[in-house]
Amino acid sequence: MSTAMNFSSKAFKPRAPDKGSFPLDHFGECKGFKDTFMKCLRDNSFDNSMCRLQSKDYLQCRMDNQLMAKEPLEKLGFADLKESSPSPEDKDAKE
Amino acid sequence: MLLPCVLREFSRCSTLSMHCSRVLRLQQKLQPSERGLHTRAQEFIARRMGLRWKPQTRGIKNRSNKRGSQEDEWKSKNKTVLTYIAAAGVGMIGISYASVPLYRLYCQASGLGGTAVAGHDADQVATMTPVKDRVIKISFNADTHASMQWNFRPQQSEIYVVPGETALAFYRARNPTDKPVIGISTYNVVPFDAGQYFNKIQCFCFEEQRLNPKEEVDMPVFFYIDPEFDEDPRMARVDTIVLSYTFFEAKEGQPLPPLPGYSYK
Repeated sequence: MSTAMNFSSKAFKPRAPDKGSFPLDHFGECKGFKDTFMKCLRDNSFDNSMCRLQSKDYLQCRMDNQLMAKEPLEKLGFADLKESSPSPEDKDAKE
Repeated sequence: MLLPCVLREFSRCSTLSMHCSRVLRLQQKLQPSERGLHTRAQEFIARRMGLRWKPQTRGIKNRSNKRGSQEDEWKSKNKTVLTYIAAAGVGMIGISYASVPLYRLYCQASGLGGTAVAGHDADQVATMTPVKDRVIKISFNADTHASMQWNFRPQQSEIYVVPGETALAFYRARNPTDKPVIGISTYNVVPFDAGQYFNKIQCFCFEEQRLNPKEEVDMPVFFYIDPEFDEDPRMARVDTIVLSYTFFEAKEGQPLPPLPGYSYK
């Protein structure tokens, strides 16, 4: 962690995430999607652009299992992967 | 003609008039044999009376004036120098007072010290377009505090992203102890300048995460790199960004110390 002890003023300031913190997936409900995503990454030499579909699926699983606040996919940067109309916005309280 | 000059000498004992001096000089140019009786008498009288012949009568007043004017000149010079020094002193004090807001403005303009320059609004995620030709490698690092007993590690060592594209990465944490442990984490991005472009949409940091005994969970990080990263000249040579998470143990009933530099933006 960077402290302010450096002489140079280029200290790092951690910022809070935009949408808060992910609740922990204690029951492994989305583990399958995660494994698919990791396998895709390994197959494509860790290129994120090739595995966006899998990441979208994982986040969709999280939203479905109440592990993530429901958001339209455009807000998550998946506008190009949207094939059908998004589910109605149902903003849960953030954990 | 010459006699009135001599008479004037007697009366005033002061400077000769120009006319007399000139005449005298003219006469002195003549040979002694050629000089008239009058001039010889004049010289005799002058020598006897100890008068000082000042051929240059013009400069007398100027010389004394010069001496006085030199002092005046020094005085005025001193005054101007003192004025300049006083102005410089006042200017320094003014600059030191004005430097606080000025430095703040400069930091905001240049992004020094990690002050946020790039916008972090949620709408940007929806409208940003990926910059396909700039591939950045994100390396992952995981640390724990010495007293923290979790096994915490990233599930991928690196990932290649482009600015403007959202990316997902996973960490794994396991609690090998027999007691539930609550952890809280913070993160760090190296190089520091690139940290301002590293935007996390959602992660697992800054909030207490509880792991039951022998439990293992996947912890995702959902982030993107601001498209303005590609336009920043200071980032032109940055190809690798290291994201480093550190987990600490949060003890029950203990107030959390303020995390350094933690600020909501």
